Amino acid sequence: MTEASDTLAEARQDRASATGHGTARRTGPMLVPYLQAAPMALVFLIFFVLPLAATVAVSFWQYTQYSIVPAITLENYNDIFQDCLRDLPDLCTTFRTYLSTLKFCLIVWAMTLTIGFTIAYFLAFHVRTLKFQVICFLLCTVPFWTSIVIRMISWIPLLGRNGLVNETLISMGIIHTPLEGLLYSDFAVILSLTHLYTLFMVVPIFNSLMRIDRTLIEAARDAGANGFQILTVVIIPLARPGILIGSIFVITVVMGDFLTMGIMGGQQIASVGKIIQTQMQFLQFPLAAANAVILLAAVLVGVWALLKLVDIRKEL
Amino acid sequence: MTDRRPRSFYVLFGIFLLFMMFLYGPMISILLLSFQSADGGLVFPVRGLSTYWFEKLWAGDGQVAIGPALRRSFVLALVVMVLTVTISVLAGLAFRHRFRGATLLLYVAISSLIVPSIVVSLGIALEFRLIDDAIKDLGAAWNIGWIQSNFVSALGPFTSGLGAHLTWTLPFGLLIMFAVFNRFDPAFEEAARDLGATPLQTFRHVTLPMIAPFLIGIAVFGFTLSWDELARSSQVMGSDNTLPMQLAAKTTTVTDPEIYALGSATTAGSVLFIILMFTLVSLIQRRRRRLL
Amino acid sequence: MTDKTLKTGTSRRSVLKGAAALAGTAAFPAPFVHAQERVTLRYLSTAVNQSPAIAEKASEDLGIDIEYISVNTDEVPRRVITQPNSFDLVDSEYFSLPNLVPSGNMVGMDANRIDRIDELATVIAKGTVNGEKVGSDGTAPHEVLYLEDKDSTTFATEPTEWITLIPTTYNADTLGLRPDLIDKEITSWASLLDPDFSGKTAILNIPSIGIMDAAMAIEARGDITYGDKGNMTREEIDFTIEKLIEAKRAGQFRAFWSNFQESVNLMASGEVVIQSMWSPAVTAVRTQGIECVYQPLDEGYRAWASGFGLPRTIDGRKEDAAYEFINWFLSGWAGAHLSRQGYYPAVLETAKEYMEPYEWAYWYEGKEAEQDILAPDGRTLEEAGAVRDGGSYEERMGAVACWNAVMDENQYMVRKWNEFIAA
Repeated sequence: MTEASDTLAEARQDRASATGHGTARRTGPMLVPYLQAAPMALVFLIFFVLPLAATVAVSFWQYTQYSIVPAITLENYNDIFQDCLRDLPDLCTTFRTYLSTLKFCLIVWAMTLTIGFTIAYFLAFHVRTLKFQVICFLLCTVPFWTSIVIRMISWIPLLGRNGLVNETLISMGIIHTPLEGLLYSDFAVILSLTHLYTLFMVVPIFNSLMRIDRTLIEAARDAGANGFQILTVVIIPLARPGILIGSIFVITVVMGDFLTMGIMGGQQIASVGKIIQTQMQFLQFPLAAANAVILLAAVLVGVWALLKLVDIRKEL
Repeated sequence: MTDRRPRSFYVLFGIFLLFMMFLYGPMISILLLSFQSADGGLVFPVRGLSTYWFEKLWAGDGQVAIGPALRRSFVLALVVMVLTVTISVLAGLAFRHRFRGATLLLYVAISSLIVPSIVVSLGIALEFRLIDDAIKDLGAAWNIGWIQSNFVSALGPFTSGLGAHLTWTLPFGLLIMFAVFNRFDPAFEEAARDLGATPLQTFRHVTLPMIAPFLIGIAVFGFTLSWDELARSSQVMGSDNTLPMQLAAKTTTVTDPEIYALGSATTAGSVLFIILMFTLVSLIQRRRRRLL
Repeated sequence: MTDKTLKTGTSRRSVLKGAAALAGTAAFPAPFVHAQERVTLRYLSTAVNQSPAIAEKASEDLGIDIEYISVNTDEVPRRVITQPNSFDLVDSEYFSLPNLVPSGNMVGMDANRIDRIDELATVIAKGTVNGEKVGSDGTAPHEVLYLEDKDSTTFATEPTEWITLIPTTYNADTLGLRPDLIDKEITSWASLLDPDFSGKTAILNIPSIGIMDAAMAIEARGDITYGDKGNMTREEIDFTIEKLIEAKRAGQFRAFWSNFQESVNLMASGEVVIQSMWSPAVTAVRTQGIECVYQPLDEGYRAWASGFGLPRTIDGRKEDAAYEFINWFLSGWAGAHLSRQGYYPAVLETAKEYMEPYEWAYWYEGKEAEQDILAPDGRTLEEAGAVRDGGSYEERMGAVACWNAVMDENQYMVRKWNEFIAA
């Protein structure tokens, strides 16, 4: 977040010049940009494009307990959706899993957005000196620099059946038997994911809020808008890019999550990521690949829709 | 601005404090539990007060053997950091010009960020598995002894693992470079050129010093994203574990507070690291301000 | 020893063994071997099987260094299949063999080079205890113990010279429970699905083992009688998974676990009060000062066994060292060490030699402990007067109902199992 604190300092003075014609005039021989871009292009080709191609290809292959066989088949997709038509109107496991993943996605998105926006708003508009802004910002970010695994398991002594929360509630006489649903439950997963990823909302939203010209707010106030109107009519629309970037991030992370749902859900909550992971564990690569292709398609459709709303390159 | 705070300030400040509690509460709880004495358990109440579990962790003879994973993760993160900075700056410079495929590269970079990590991980694992099979077939067909007896897998922290991490750090690096060059005033470079500097000299003496603080930003990003990366690493590290993978494996297998001691220790390490980086950045900025 | 085939095999093998030993001595006089560089064996298995004390002792006795590669139960076969030359010695469960052997990555071990091949516990070698057949539903070790020849990828139905795995440890699992948190008497596997324990049971997320637990419970509840629960038909698999999903949706399970310590944590923290447990896990909970009972049940035990196998790529000095280490492993010290953790070793007679009579009486004969029973690290496991849960060796291993299993329909089963985990 070093970069962010710099942005704080520079955002104001540079706002005027940051109007987006950063792509400067051409200089030097035409070959130079290609050479400069080549390493990055190569990395993405070898470690991103080709792997995705391999995934798509393998999703049509056959497999045995100990090997994958390059013979084209639709069996894997058939296996995934096998009982889906038969079981209607009941949902089959695949649809249930996607729905459950989507449910977590939406809930966590709503939570992180609400909390993230509130915190970013507080930091951007209510903390007045740069110094305090940086300090508060750092306070928010410090926990995010420690291992996500550690942050996840640090909830366990609090939420367990004999954990601190239950013990406290019992000793206060509020409940008599321990609450079961605190750990290894949907609640634990949502809590933990919110804990893990709120910062990904705070940073881009804060960034957007800092670029709002304060005179716009003054103008709105002069024109007789109340606080709520300023928020909904001026601030939120202007913060849209930050909200979208944060949302894309949170949604994609949660869609593919398997670790948090595994650990906090007691290994018994379904998610698409977890299915892929278990299938890989049992060397059912083609089946996992088919699931990955479906997940990929689902995520890309969602993100494409979101991206239609914002030009990331201009908004940075 | 007036000094009187609106009521909304106090409400929001309260929410901010609650958020801080939410963030730090669990961390404090494991901090407390990690300082238990030898007969402490995994749950409250805290039993005794000692540094027993830290000593055990340090001695490396307990249930948590993380030494090799820690070293591996550290070296990997350093390599990722250097590559991320270099590749991102180069690409950032490229994007200041028009070139064919620029838009495509940008979209690929952004997709790399938003494609679920497990999918990327699976893809790289599959790709390398196919490569392995090809190498082994080759070894069998040509009867190359070394391949048959010694070749294990092309998968490893510094092949597939490194690549997986770069697909995660490079998009961030590139986006930061966009942010930098969007606000970059080319007048300084023009001045240098007018004074007869070669492109390399211009870059070395004008551009680089101006973007240096952001490069540290990218470096910090690159290092920490790699250091803490788990989902993308999960399938691609071969037989070696990185630290987060080792931690994830240990979460469910360690039966004593040593795991909390480890958590507290890594947290302290990260905090120190941030403080160090911030000092460095503010020093550079101060120097730069003096120079300008 | 009443089995004729094996007896004839024995004598022939003994002769061959002698010849091989002679040839070996001629080729490598002992001082020459010792003058060479020390050999390191990379030993792949789950962490539970990797005792630092054994590695230390082996290094002392043999001059062979053991480097442990510890992974989860389901990772062991994955390693063998995908990275067969990343280890020199694997300690794998017998149930994995139907997956491992066809991959061609394992090699048959030469019975003539195993000193005590004829003294292997009969429950592993023949599926009998004191001459009585035990349950063989599932992948019983004696069914997958022999290969047709060294490089064969199919199992032999009759004993041959080529062994898949030399047993290291085995035991019988049953339900473990917290008597302080349960006030009814538990006599059947059906209790795993008892609604009274809703939200307080757990099940293994290792399909080959979990399905057997589930099958024991569902059959005990009277829902179905399996033809062979270790080799279910698709319909039986569907039925079993359906019942599991029903239970899961009703909130029966607190968690799923996939390794030893996880089950210990769940039990010790009180998150789970009854679950299928490995015998040493019960011991581990108890050493934390928490009451935990390994409960013998009417239907019998679900047994497991694991053993040493060699990768195809092993040769030369590493191969010699591997055989040397295995022979040492069977010679008693390691067996006694493992016995004190609650496992059973491959060769009982040699382990007995390294144990005190009172220890043997407690661990193997189901007798009251004459004095305090100590764990290998010196902690007290049981006070004098205690009796081992499940009784003597014969009572435990004699009451085995089924073994952990890889079925003919394994691929299908794993897929359905994943649906259960996802449901």
